Amino acid sequence: MAASDQSPITKSYQPITWNFKLLANDMLGGFGGMGEGMSVQIAPDGRRIIWLAHESAPKNFTAVDVSDPRKPKVVCQTDLPHANMRSNSLETCGNMMAVAYQTSKKDLQPAGFELFDISKPENPKSISFFDCSGPHSRGVHQLWFCDGEYVHCASGSRDFTPTHPQDDQFYRCVDVRNPSKPVEVGRWWMPGTRQGDNVRPPTRHPIDKGFRAHNTNVYPQRGDRCYLAYIDGGMFVLDISDKANPKKVSQWTNSPPYTGFMHTIVPLFDRGLMLVTDESTENNAKDWPKLIWVLDARDESNLVPISTCPLPDHTIYAQAGRFGAHNIHENVPLPTAWQSDQIVLGTFFNGGLRAYDISNPYQPKEVGIFQPPAPPGAPTGTIQMNDVFVDEREIVYAVDRHIGGLYTLEMDF
Amino acid sequence: MLDLFPSREAGPFGRRLKHERGAKIPVTVVTGFLGSGKTTLLQRFLASPEGQGTAVIINEFGAVGIDDALVRDSAEETVLLGNGCVCCITRTDLQAALRRLVFDREHGAVPPFRRIVIETSGLADPGPILQTFSTDRALGGEFHIDLVLTVVDAVNGETALEGAAEARKQAILADRLVISKTDLADVATVERLTQRLQKLNPRATIDIAVKGALDPQRVIEPAAGERSGFIAEAAHSDGITSFVIEQDKPIEWLAFARAMETLIGLRGADLLRVKGILDVAGCRGPVVVQYVQHLAHPPVELESWPDQSRNSRVVFITRNIAEGDVRTLFATVQALAKN
Repeated sequence: MAASDQSPITKSYQPITWNFKLLANDMLGGFGGMGEGMSVQIAPDGRRIIWLAHESAPKNFTAVDVSDPRKPKVVCQTDLPHANMRSNSLETCGNMMAVAYQTSKKDLQPAGFELFDISKPENPKSISFFDCSGPHSRGVHQLWFCDGEYVHCASGSRDFTPTHPQDDQFYRCVDVRNPSKPVEVGRWWMPGTRQGDNVRPPTRHPIDKGFRAHNTNVYPQRGDRCYLAYIDGGMFVLDISDKANPKKVSQWTNSPPYTGFMHTIVPLFDRGLMLVTDESTENNAKDWPKLIWVLDARDESNLVPISTCPLPDHTIYAQAGRFGAHNIHENVPLPTAWQSDQIVLGTFFNGGLRAYDISNPYQPKEVGIFQPPAPPGAPTGTIQMNDVFVDEREIVYAVDRHIGGLYTLEMDF
Repeated sequence: MLDLFPSREAGPFGRRLKHERGAKIPVTVVTGFLGSGKTTLLQRFLASPEGQGTAVIINEFGAVGIDDALVRDSAEETVLLGNGCVCCITRTDLQAALRRLVFDREHGAVPPFRRIVIETSGLADPGPILQTFSTDRALGGEFHIDLVLTVVDAVNGETALEGAAEARKQAILADRLVISKTDLADVATVERLTQRLQKLNPRATIDIAVKGALDPQRVIEPAAGERSGFIAEAAHSDGITSFVIEQDKPIEWLAFARAMETLIGLRGADLLRVKGILDVAGCRGPVVVQYVQHLAHPPVELESWPDQSRNSRVVFITRNIAEGDVRTLFATVQALAKN
């Protein structure tokens, strides 16, 4: 592969393909700026469809037939109602899909999530819309939906007035067993972030991204737990055995001295480990280091960080776009998702897609890199790899944040 | 580590790998007697698309690095180990050079190479080089020898094999043999040389390369295919013998390991190369084992078998060790382990 002629990065930054095999790249009809929702459905007619969320308007979501991962084919691409919103996150469960809607400003519509019947992938049909708009709400940034019964999401609400405008999204659990009438059954927010709390508001970080919810993962192995990332508030393990009254089990944060924005928690139940990711949100690695952390979680009430997944020297990456951790493959508990507690796959913006062997969790070892050339027209002049998903066939899907669309790959380690 | 953080995905030997190399950097060792055409072969390979992303380490027995100058333009990175033979005095240089390459790659100081080719001096014995890659403490943690390729010159090959123990050892330890300069030799000579090489090393395939023209894949693809038959019986004039031990029932790991420990303890220096694929009781995939003299590679379990056979197969290349004694040792240890 040749480096893009547009790349503003010095010679030492180069495309790398190491122990991954690229099968195909589809720029999704020129709308290849992708968010952090990736979910695989086996359609009733047997086709394998990956549903992809877009990072920003004008597109809502895109469905790609990846039955043959060497020849991906777009089968559906929908538009958002207006440009001041995004549908950054989605999940499918069987033939139902939940899509998050977040507005760029408060008190805009539609802010919430929408449920779709996707039994005919070319023609998704809206089932219902759960409204989360309000004078202090931007709606839903992220959602988790894999049991067909509950949507767990990072959301604002009409009745929630945060103590700081950035802290508008918190954990909400919505019962969708009757998908035409979703009903909220529980919520939790970090104490001090809602007006009226009897706790002082948290101290802001120098790079202030908000004390608000991000990923809200719930797994059947511990259906009574929500693994909640809370951006500048670190992370929480919640006891949701009583969904109406979630309770904090434990909290862990790396900031300060780090710069906040905790993003995703993936427990590795058999091993008593937990993966925690940061998100890099600043260009030119100004918020370096943003990492994947490995925690000893044998005692969930006392989480102990034991290692991080190693990244290369950031100086050669600190010249164009973001560099650092973001999404990882989350072992979504569905038959169409690969399950691994030995290999971690993560996206690192201009650091591409990277794989780590955590057989020895004290010494994670990098085993694969896919850092492709900048896609044509890339605004940063580099790849900005944003999200990754691995299906049960061990086909890897990775998406670019700005323009590059979908990459399909095989692991070779 | 599995005691503290157990995983149902892992086998007794850790994470199951897609191939023996795992995620290590693949290495091709190119050997061949003086003037056999190693550098020409390498030049052609580096000029091919398959040769892109190759770092080259050249060992020359002389103060002036001529071969280095010949390949430098086409390799991603070239390191010259001068003034000594890589199998003896510069072996530590080889380790240092490889470690430096990895460090520089991680820090962006050299391009992100994907493989390494080591061109040894014509006088090198490949044995000690293989040994260097055997353990994690040496280079085995980062690098994996995918292939030992030995170039034999059609014109002078017979003479070299006749007169030089190093040349014979290069042929015996090869995974793949390449006869060069066949355009300069008559057909009968090439035929005699081919037969001689087949007798010396029946497990290696023999390719022909005129002016270095060889399918570039043959310079890098692992030799597993060639070894799958594990036909390796051969006896050599230097007391070097090769043979295969096969077993169609699952092997108890403890019994195999104890037998190998005994063999290494008594005769490690004479185990030139041992490589096997085992059906270990309790393991899902095959377990690959490899030994060079006293050193054992860490065993690895693969995700799947390379072919239909599930038989355990171990190739021994030994010096003055009788095949019958090894068979008896393995049979005895296995019998004792059952009681």
